[in-house]
Amino acid sequence: MKKEDTVKLISAEGMEFVIDKEAAMVSQTIRNMLTSPGGFAEAEHGEVTFPEISAVILEKICQYFYWSLQYSRGKETEFHIEPELTLELMMAANYLHT
Amino acid sequence: MAMYIRVKRSKTTYFIQCDPTETTIDIKQKLHTLIDQPVNDQRLILMNTGEILEDSKSLADQKVENDAVVALTLRKDDNEFEDVNIVKPNDFYPSRDADNGNW
Repeated sequence: MKKEDTVKLISAEGMEFVIDKEAAMVSQTIRNMLTSPGGFAEAEHGEVTFPEISAVILEKICQYFYWSLQYSRGKETEFHIEPELTLELMMAANYLHT
Repeated sequence: MAMYIRVKRSKTTYFIQCDPTETTIDIKQKLHTLIDQPVNDQRLILMNTGEILEDSKSLADQKVENDAVVALTLRKDDNEFEDVNIVKPNDFYPSRDADNGNW
């Protein structure tokens, strides 16, 4: 595990989530930010700020990224979503193309 | 990757990929590459039970499971470890907590 292989996602409140790039790229939107030629500032610093996404939702999203990686490798478990998070989570997922 | 754990300190959460057979010291070495803190200055505490994880024991032996939350504390200048300090998002949204209480 190397620092360059991770990316820091920052929520509206300034909470930080450090995750593997591999996991972050489950999101097409983040993948584009990190891989586009011409260099998004995000790609250089390995930091992406989401002013519209709260920490509770962003953490859930990160958990989903890892769940998705596990699932793609054949570990079939359920992904639990608290009902009160559903709406916000769907809006964030839509934004992130996840 | 067999599993991941969430290591939290202050307002930062590190998602660490790991295997149940790995030991606590393996996790500390991964954290070392991320935060530049020597493994000897790190202490990991399983939040479910409040138990301090021992370097030589495996994660499975210490009941650290997939998606577990582990607190990271660092050694202070006076050689003692700091207290667990995890900022919860609810600290920013006290109203959300109040709502839950009313339901």
